[in-house]
Amino acid sequence: MWTTVLVSGITLGSFYTLVALGFALIFGVTHTFNLAHGELLILAGYVAYWLWKSFGIPFLFTFPAAVLVALVVCLVLQRLFSLLREPMELNSIVVSFGVAVLLQNGMLFFFSGDYRLIRVPALHQGLHLQTIYLSYSQLTLLALSLLVIGLIYLLMRHTYLGKALRATIQNREAASLAGIDVGRMGVLAFSIGALLIGLAGPLYGSIHYLYPTAGLQATLLAITITIFAGVGRIRGLILGGWILALAESSAVVLLGASWREMVSAVMILTLLAIRPQGILGREQK
Amino acid sequence: MSKAKAKNQRVKQFHLTKVALALGLVLLLLLPVLSHYSDYVLQVFTHALLLATLALAWNILSVSGSISLGHAAFFGVGAYGSALLSLDLGVSPWVTIPLGGLLAAAVAMIMALLCLRLRSAYFALATLAFVEIPKVITDNWNGLTRGSLGLVGLPGLPSLRLGSYHFDISGSPTGSYYFVLCYGLVLLLLVAVIFRSNLGLALQAIREEEVAAEAVGIQVQQYRLLSLLLSGFFTGITGACYAHLVRYIEPGLVYGLHFSAIPMVFAICGGRFTILGPALAALVLYPLDQFIFHPLLPAGHEFLYGAVIILAILFMPSGFWGRLRKGHLVSIKTGSIE
Repeated sequence: MWTTVLVSGITLGSFYTLVALGFALIFGVTHTFNLAHGELLILAGYVAYWLWKSFGIPFLFTFPAAVLVALVVCLVLQRLFSLLREPMELNSIVVSFGVAVLLQNGMLFFFSGDYRLIRVPALHQGLHLQTIYLSYSQLTLLALSLLVIGLIYLLMRHTYLGKALRATIQNREAASLAGIDVGRMGVLAFSIGALLIGLAGPLYGSIHYLYPTAGLQATLLAITITIFAGVGRIRGLILGGWILALAESSAVVLLGASWREMVSAVMILTLLAIRPQGILGREQK
Repeated sequence: MSKAKAKNQRVKQFHLTKVALALGLVLLLLLPVLSHYSDYVLQVFTHALLLATLALAWNILSVSGSISLGHAAFFGVGAYGSALLSLDLGVSPWVTIPLGGLLAAAVAMIMALLCLRLRSAYFALATLAFVEIPKVITDNWNGLTRGSLGLVGLPGLPSLRLGSYHFDISGSPTGSYYFVLCYGLVLLLLVAVIFRSNLGLALQAIREEEVAAEAVGIQVQQYRLLSLLLSGFFTGITGACYAHLVRYIEPGLVYGLHFSAIPMVFAICGGRFTILGPALAALVLYPLDQFIFHPLLPAGHEFLYGAVIILAILFMPSGFWGRLRKGHLVSIKTGSIE
């Protein structure tokens, strides 16, 4: 029983990290809380579902289209957020809440309120490793998530561009004085965020049901993990993703499936109770 | 010369808005006659008035500078509290509605313990997360709440008797309409009293400059707590009224994002720092949504609320009523809600 919890915790947790990574990057670089993050994810999932269902395009080939759609919406969002003033955090929350309502209704219009799932038969088989059972769906989730997170880690740590992004996250003014175009870093953060959303959305659609209001849960888990890790700490994000997913699977086993939705909410409230100054608090001291 | 002219114009405008408001009130009072007792029109305006009370209650907290994304928690608890008390114990809704409000205030107290130390963005995020807790509990406590199936056949509001005159509330759309209109006007009056009292002034001082407010001796946290409790109480009352008017509730509905988002949209579009603005926005936008956008776009008509809040913050962050009454207000720059 508990090995299953552990396996699903690790695989799902890695995926959660993938979901949170885009949110954390966008927040770190631009100081905007994008509450429409989950809705964007669901939108990318719907695009993949639509291509897969209507045109019979194989699941893995739907990713580029999902990324493209996420990119277009993210760049529009970036323009929208750039019109806002300080305090960016609060203003972006209210505006992106409006964007979330817009996207929810748009998806309701185009895809209806029915529950959709991308059912790939091949992913439902699996293999036994001694006592542990791993489905191909879990393996894909784990491998793709860790691969993408690893690539982003390399980008952030070992390229000049990554250094500029990290500098912007740490101190915008100093970065700007050092000649980094902070505005362009914002566009870049939204673009990388869109790439991550476009990859995570179809994956989400292959493990969870898609419906227009499903985004809130994804947004909450992205916020939870980001608050847990602080921005710009990819290893912290992975740890946060695993802990959240393990807590969720444990709650499902101990209390029942319907209590899962409460786990991330309780974690956010606990983390904020411990660290009321918020995510950037540590640097500001 | 030009100064006197400008003043003259402002006085004229002030009288104009007064006349317009009086006219609006008369229209609201005569609505059943004007609409030829159309059930549909009355239902839409009953709901619009209910949402107006929600926006008014939300604004009691927002005037202190805190944006809540979690008022559905109070709405849902008020609705479920009143519904269960009247359904299981057979108590009259006239008693259970205030009890629902008190229950919501108790939940506001819990929210205060968890969230009130936080400011601005983090307060908003914490309230957004907070809603999940009463929602999941209501969803799972099958023995008490019948779980996710919801509650059907709730008792309606009993009719009032004045001598031989019989005033039917739940049975007739006109009765429901006038009941909610009365509640709305009472709440509006209360909000006006609160905003102009020392409490209201203290809350506005906290919003403008918390440190300075504290320096002149305002007990910042106590006032913020009081505004949250009042806001939660009235949101709970509205939730309870909703339960007895619609007579059907389920967790996904009453704890849904809708009832958290709607009061914020109306309050910001109407004018967060005004008394009337949030209620006016509800009375304009909800009928607009129902009469025009709903027939055009049966699925997705609520995009209107997302669009208006984005446009309001970009172009009219003090809201349309706040804009009209400029001069009474601190100026708010476009692209910001502060």
